[in-house]
Amino acid sequence: MSADTALAAPRRHQSIDRRSFIGLLLVALPVFLVGWLIVFPIFSAVVGTIFVRGPDGATEFSLASYRFFFSDGYSLGNLWLTLWTTAVCGILLLAIGLPIALYLRFSQGRLAAYVQALAIFPMFVPSIILAYALIRTIGPNGTIDLLLNAAGLPKLRTPYLTPWGPVIGLVWDNLPLTVLMLTAGLSSVSNSAIEAARDVGAGPLRVFVSIILPRMGNSLLVTASFAVLGIFSAFTLPYVLGPASPEMMGPFMQRTFADMNDPLNAMTQAVITFALCLVFGIFYIRSIARNREARP
Amino acid sequence: MRTAKPGTGLRFDWIGTLFACLLTLFIALPLIVVGTWAFTEVWRYPSVIPQQFGLRFWGQTLARSDVWDALLLSLRLTATVTVLSAVICLPAAYAFARMRFPGRNILFLSFLASHAFPKFGLLVAIAGIFLRLGLISTFWGVVLIQLVGTLMLMIWIPVAAFQNVDRRMEEAARDAGATPLRVFWSITLPQAAPTITAALLLTFVGTFYETEGAWLIGAPGIRTMPVLMISFINNQIVVQYGAVLSVMLWVPSFIALMFARRVIGTGAFARGFGA
Repeated sequence: MSADTALAAPRRHQSIDRRSFIGLLLVALPVFLVGWLIVFPIFSAVVGTIFVRGPDGATEFSLASYRFFFSDGYSLGNLWLTLWTTAVCGILLLAIGLPIALYLRFSQGRLAAYVQALAIFPMFVPSIILAYALIRTIGPNGTIDLLLNAAGLPKLRTPYLTPWGPVIGLVWDNLPLTVLMLTAGLSSVSNSAIEAARDVGAGPLRVFVSIILPRMGNSLLVTASFAVLGIFSAFTLPYVLGPASPEMMGPFMQRTFADMNDPLNAMTQAVITFALCLVFGIFYIRSIARNREARP
Repeated sequence: MRTAKPGTGLRFDWIGTLFACLLTLFIALPLIVVGTWAFTEVWRYPSVIPQQFGLRFWGQTLARSDVWDALLLSLRLTATVTVLSAVICLPAAYAFARMRFPGRNILFLSFLASHAFPKFGLLVAIAGIFLRLGLISTFWGVVLIQLVGTLMLMIWIPVAAFQNVDRRMEEAARDAGATPLRVFWSITLPQAAPTITAALLLTFVGTFYETEGAWLIGAPGIRTMPVLMISFINNQIVVQYGAVLSVMLWVPSFIALMFARRVIGTGAFARGFGA
């Protein structure tokens, strides 16, 4: 090793350390915000609902708020409604989103562009405007009723203020990301694999089951996880379009926290939603981490 | 990435037509309805079209002081959040895209944490902390909660922008003797700017319409535009007030979002959410 390189090596090492330090410094503030406003509140909610301050001011271990939740018929009714809504929306989103994504993957031209634009359009419409628009459309004496009446058909029982109201709103709202994520997943299915299957005589259904589905299993699960996490504690659409009782966990938590001024029980409800969605959350993060590793 | 079977161009696209019709009905109808209500003075059941069109309710809506208060507050809040988000996130995005430092991947992935939990549950957990800190019903409490909501978008999209900058141009400038700051200012930033602008627009519009945090943390003292709209819906006051607000506030933001469309179309956006 020459004298020059011997001198240069520690200097380079020092400069890498300085760059590492600058890098860490640049990311410090947002990382701190994530720690303070996401990780810490979750940790604090779990600890705060288990170690409760008693009337004498001393902190003691107690599961009373959880016992109350799981023995209270109203709370359980809300949880059941939330699970039902999430499952129905998840199934509907995949049932509607997958055929659209498949169509977009294998079609081109103006009609495909129009379908894509419409499917993505709800992303540009805020939930609150959607809620307002849906009340005027599917609500009592709304546009659907007007059109049915004009066609000489009887009125439909309105889904507004029933569990189907939030389902319609949430499917509308979540359709764009479902289609985008599934289309992104489908782009990993190569044309040559599909053409090879077609060459040996496979029909569209066979191509879908044997070629496409196995390759996008992960993408389907990520999309479903994302939808579940978003819908499980949705607030605006269930609050505006849904029934007052039972209500979904989002409005239930808001009412417990703000209207009933009962943070302990609201936090307990929040921790229960975390626990129920944990599997989806872990799956979601793990799959993204794996995707990133796979990418150069 | 799309491919067509040979000859499909000549055949009538039944499936596409079916999707187009169903989606038009499902997606466009509610929006057409709210748009029509905004320009309606009288529309009584069972008439399919309004009995009387007019702009009377625009004047009435714009004469309400609560509308102006909410609009100005929302604009102030959204501008504050967008500027803070840019100042905090853009340097971090540059660091994630270009620098190597310990824990880089884990820290980058940590920004997805907010998406790995049910959102409103997370907001309730944060509200519990803000209650102890006296941040409930304050301007800065709402700023903080909305800032957290913008982190992922303002880091993931600009990271992609910085990664897509042509490295050879930067190296050429450096070879010609430009300082690192000069290279960043004259080469890197102009190339990344369109995507970063799109991220800023998405952040601005997303924050303007953010309802859940603004209500949970802000009520009753902070009343943003979406929170005002919820009270219009709950209190069942004149239908047209909400319709006028929807059209008045949505059209400009829709135009702004159209400029950001390129980012959404590239797939980087979907990948940001884990596709």
